[in-house]
Amino acid sequence: MSGDAALAPSFDTVAVESTEWRRACERELEDGARFCGAHAGGTGGARNWSALFARGSGTRIVTTRTDGDQIETIVDLVPGGQWDEREAHDLYGLRFDGHEPLRPLVDHPAETAAWTTPVEGNGVHQVAVGPVHAGVIESGHFRFHVVGERILHLDPRLFYKHRGLERAAEGRRLADGLIFAQRACGACAVTNAVAYAQACESALGLLPPRELRRARTFLLEMERLYNHLNDLAAVCAGVGFATGNMAFAALKERALRLNQEICGHRFLFGSVEVGTSRVVVPASIAGRLRGGLRELREDAARVWREVRFSASVQARLGGVGVLDREAAARLGAVGPTARASGLGQDARRDGAGLWYGSSFVAAAPAQASGDVAARLEMRPIELEVSFEILDELLAEPIEAGAARPAGPTSPTGVARVESPRGETVCVVEQRLCQISRLRLRTGSYANWPALAEATAGNLLPDFPLINKSFELCYACVDR
Amino acid sequence: MFVLLRHLGRVRRDVALPRRSGGRSLAIRHVDAGSCNACEHELTATAAPRYDLQRFGIDIVASPRHADVLLVTGPVTTRMEAALRAAYEAMPEPRLVAALGDCALGCGVLGEAAELAAPLDEMLPVDIRIPGCPPAPQAIADAILATMPHLT
Repeated sequence: MSGDAALAPSFDTVAVESTEWRRACERELEDGARFCGAHAGGTGGARNWSALFARGSGTRIVTTRTDGDQIETIVDLVPGGQWDEREAHDLYGLRFDGHEPLRPLVDHPAETAAWTTPVEGNGVHQVAVGPVHAGVIESGHFRFHVVGERILHLDPRLFYKHRGLERAAEGRRLADGLIFAQRACGACAVTNAVAYAQACESALGLLPPRELRRARTFLLEMERLYNHLNDLAAVCAGVGFATGNMAFAALKERALRLNQEICGHRFLFGSVEVGTSRVVVPASIAGRLRGGLRELREDAARVWREVRFSASVQARLGGVGVLDREAAARLGAVGPTARASGLGQDARRDGAGLWYGSSFVAAAPAQASGDVAARLEMRPIELEVSFEILDELLAEPIEAGAARPAGPTSPTGVARVESPRGETVCVVEQRLCQISRLRLRTGSYANWPALAEATAGNLLPDFPLINKSFELCYACVDR
Repeated sequence: MFVLLRHLGRVRRDVALPRRSGGRSLAIRHVDAGSCNACEHELTATAAPRYDLQRFGIDIVASPRHADVLLVTGPVTTRMEAALRAAYEAMPEPRLVAALGDCALGCGVLGEAAELAAPLDEMLPVDIRIPGCPPAPQAIADAILATMPHLT
């Protein structure tokens, strides 16, 4: 591992006429670029609409001005853009030609028929769950269309937690906007903050030095650690395997305490800043932390072995909640979800501005079956990778550092960072160091439509298990 | 399985909480009214080894109809207001409301005013206040145990 990847996220912008919009997106896809989000911006009558396409470590923004709020849809080209278009309609009033029906996503109309898919037939009925759930779970509503116990279709309805964080950040100074990205989600706080900071730095023409890149990589992996341990506990809980649940919960607690010890916060809040890093792990503490992480690694491997060879647990996992490779690619799934379905894609491989290096390889399960078993298996595999990265990083102390000016400023900045749940994309549009638009498209946002698709055809009592195998956030989707 | 149980047997409760007495119980219903999910992580941790609040008879129950305490996280978004009120209405008397975390306490809330309904204590009578962003599991445990005066 080394810092030989691109120094900073790179991007370019292609502005097209609204009549050329669809064709321009099509051309990107033909060139092999991958869709990774779309967002509206601008005010009043001057709306703009942009789609992002990933090419290696770079990102291309295809943008257009809309004529009378009406624009051609691209959901038939990139089904993964469905939620982006629905969100732009609800929050920015854009209308999409050919996206029929354009169901509300952020808006919550009273009548169920306005936002659910009509499913009809003999014995078909609906089961409504949430927004308040039975356990300690984030708020969201699921509308299952079922026959008996068999789920025909799932309409998730999120955005119960919509706090308007992106709009609230507008007009603030770039440095003050970080907290909006970070507090969008407690469990992805580091990823969101690093994505935001990198987007700001790319807009300001700043390059991160070695210390900054190492510090952020360290924080990102510490975040992944406790999240993956949490997900393993959650799947155990999902099958009613209390001992596994408690064993992984105890390991997660150890990871959180290490965070507290190093950064003074169990969820690493306040550890990422725009243009600088003040996280310091001196050699003596780095050595101790390394020892603590090695013990944690051994214990996590031991507990996983027990879960792995527990026949009654394993019997529940295979062939449940299958998201095949084609569906994962079509819906633009990311992160462990995509990798469990056989898409070898990981934003860490491109890792611009971080310390992963060009030799980083996306982890793969033994069998990319795309079911609960494969998604669960991704966590211990990726834990090993994270422990390895942390061990290497901590061979040297983590030092403070500041980004240095290296190029011209730009009105836009983009960054893509791998969260525990997948690629998180942050776009910052700025004028005189003030935010004019902030858009945070997290790994969870990309994966929710895939979760809904993987649910169809399964039994209703298996849904908690399927849900936990994805373990997506609601908070950073709703924002 | 036995390896796991042995492993768990070595995990010690290492947090000083009051000793159990009285054999009473407290049923809690949690409602997330727009949190960032960190409070949920810490609330879950109170039921995990090292804190293990269940040994005091404290349990998170599935329905507000079975609950003594409504534990609220988040700044109360407009979209969660109705569900929050419905959960409170469904609770039997006597009932307590706990505000978990700084957002629920109305401190330093981020977001657009139009998307937030009202601070929790303007909506419901708040009896228990647990500050922190997020409050550590021990702070949550201490605050909940303090409402059970029969514990010494």
